[in-house]
Amino acid sequence: MLAALWNNVDYVASVVLFLIGLYIIIAKNNLIKKFLGLNIMETAIFSFIVALGVIDRGTPPVMGPDAQPPYTSPVPQALILTGIVVAVSTTALALSLVIRIYQQRGTIEADELREME
Amino acid sequence: MSTAFDIVLLLLLIAIALAVARTKDLLAASIIFSAYSLVLCLLWQHRGSPDVAMTEAAVGAGITTVLFLVAISKTVRREK
Amino acid sequence: MKKALVIALLIIAAIPLLIGVAALPPHGDADTPVQTHVSARYLEKGVEEARTVNIVTAVILNYRGIDTNGEVTVIFTALAASFAVLLPAAMARRAASAESDEAPPVSMVVLFVTRLLAPFIALFALYVMLHGHSSPGGGFQGGAILGGLFVALSIVLGAEKVEPLLKSPFAPWLRIAAPLAFVAMGVFGALLTGFYLGFPQQEALRWASEAMVLIIEIGIGVGGAMIFATLFAEMEAQ
Repeated sequence: MLAALWNNVDYVASVVLFLIGLYIIIAKNNLIKKFLGLNIMETAIFSFIVALGVIDRGTPPVMGPDAQPPYTSPVPQALILTGIVVAVSTTALALSLVIRIYQQRGTIEADELREME
Repeated sequence: MSTAFDIVLLLLLIAIALAVARTKDLLAASIIFSAYSLVLCLLWQHRGSPDVAMTEAAVGAGITTVLFLVAISKTVRREK
Repeated sequence: MKKALVIALLIIAAIPLLIGVAALPPHGDADTPVQTHVSARYLEKGVEEARTVNIVTAVILNYRGIDTNGEVTVIFTALAASFAVLLPAAMARRAASAESDEAPPVSMVVLFVTRLLAPFIALFALYVMLHGHSSPGGGFQGGAILGGLFVALSIVLGAEKVEPLLKSPFAPWLRIAAPLAFVAMGVFGALLTGFYLGFPQQEALRWASEAMVLIIEIGIGVGGAMIFATLFAEMEAQ
């Protein structure tokens, strides 16, 4: 199994980054730090899916005059383009909500917000 | 097969993510997150995905960092 | 105690993920199902069916075009929701205190370099937007660069210089440009071929297919830039 993991070192790095993002969301108290962790989780998933389409000695899938097979697969790249834009949209809305919470309650620490209820 | 360049970039990514987790100053954490986005763009460009790399550089390092900086300027600067 | 629980949870989450990752086919192999089923057909027939050199743009706009339609609707919905959250407080604050806070003084070097580089950045953003079908690039990238340029100018020159663009009567139409361009081209394609967002395949209607791709790209670019600039201006005005 260790040899299989050494072959797929890209995927193992994505799993480690995903777990670091999960740790930031669970263990940190500040709301803005939690959203930084959420962005790290999202980019870890993007890196995993893009790494699925990579091929040995592959070239970008642009059929210009100097293109030669094998090509990197274009389908994961198209999915991740959509994913990146959706990630920035959710980050924008989340940060707007954080600004409003700070204006209403005066704090953005999660345990103080829980005490206030 | 992964070359040494890829393994160095991946280790750098993990180190930057750990630095984001440990920094208490939120402004510094946002700038370190912008560096994370840049290293990710380099990794994808090296792997043969120029479209995704350009989108991540423009959107991740440009737009997301700006949004985080505006949010920090309107709320707190350090986490407790 | 809490730290030990968090570390234990992470280890319990890590084990099935690592077992799954070890069971995947080797990285970079040419026989994986990703490379042989759908991607092979897109790479073979992409240039003649979609008539774009960049296969990723062909997949986004032609083969999986309705996905991109949903995505531009998502980003517009995020802008609408941000408005709903931020606008009442901004209007109350503007009514309460009618003074405008001055922008902090910017150093001469930053001012000079930004004013020097701004036209070149705008030109590059337009180039990336319009060449999406023949080189890496496209609507999103050009729109994000243009939006970033607006944000930089708003910070360096002061928000009053950028306000006329964001408050002009065209501004709502520019913000909705991306979903509007998609729906318009979708109906146009339905009139030509009978399917929503169907690109015509005959040689005589080749101009229609290329015009549809160009209008969708420009719509996504301009709409995206306007949405990012508006988000920044709205969050800044709090």
